[in-house]
Amino acid sequence: MSVRQLLERHRGALLLTLALVVVSPVFGVYLAGLVGYHEPLDLAAEALGLRETTEEVNWTPFLDYTVPGLPDWLGYIVSGFIGVGVVLALGLLLLRLLRRE
Amino acid sequence: MHIPDGYLDPATCAATYLITLAVGVIAFRRARLAGDEAKLLVPVLAAAIFVAQMLNWPLPGGTSLHLVGGALAAILVGPWLGYFVMLLVLLVQALVFHDGGITTLGANVLNMGIVAVFTGYLVYRAFPERWRVAGAFLAGWLSITLAGLACGVELGLSNLARYFLYGFSVTIPVMGGWHALLGLVEGAITAAVYAYLRARAPALVAGGKV
Repeated sequence: MSVRQLLERHRGALLLTLALVVVSPVFGVYLAGLVGYHEPLDLAAEALGLRETTEEVNWTPFLDYTVPGLPDWLGYIVSGFIGVGVVLALGLLLLRLLRRE
Repeated sequence: MHIPDGYLDPATCAATYLITLAVGVIAFRRARLAGDEAKLLVPVLAAAIFVAQMLNWPLPGGTSLHLVGGALAAILVGPWLGYFVMLLVLLVQALVFHDGGITTLGANVLNMGIVAVFTGYLVYRAFPERWRVAGAFLAGWLSITLAGLACGVELGLSNLARYFLYGFSVTIPVMGGWHALLGLVEGAITAAVYAYLRARAPALVAGGKV
């Protein structure tokens, strides 16, 4: 199973996925900023006094879907493309491993 | 629902990693037996779910929702390949974007790649063919509710050392309650995508049989 097969068989789904990346800042940046972004998980953790260490121990320049030097909305789009690329690459690697003998 | 580093104690991190790895070994063996069509859908589905999870829809009142996708993955490619779809998504989110921790990756895969995937699959398959759209809705709803509850149990367990059972009394109602509500949207999206694919590309939907 190759990139070509993937493109031939699922071209429409991949194009739709990339189109969604382009509009994603509307949801992930603009709307999130309007009302404040919180997950139920944060509410539970706050009640228990748990503290996350994400920013203290960080290994990636793309923390929270941002790209250094780019505005948040553009960083979100670039992050989306990077993420899709890495997911597809790892997915194809997985398909090789899952190949029947 | 992505648990960041720092929220879980070492014992809970280790236990959830062990469970996730053990299921992963079984999933790998079973997934190899799947058809090529279902396998080829795995990278595409993972990429689509990765992007769908970026589309947060914030709700007035301070929370937000997005598709998690575990039930949808299970319906389309079955639970064993579905595990790998969610593993790909969660791995990239944690490693590249630090969305979800490394120490908590086992717990996140357990919640969204095992609990959500298998719950979704079992609920969906429990429905007869003509009720499958309703089955997909319930699959989506219950998958998120139980994954949220599992997350609440893990947080509560991590809190045992400090506050004994107080942790569960907080985390289980908060996580279970909120996710039972958010799960309605997960169910609606899962059913809508399923209904669309069943009408337009029935071969894709048939790929989920184990």
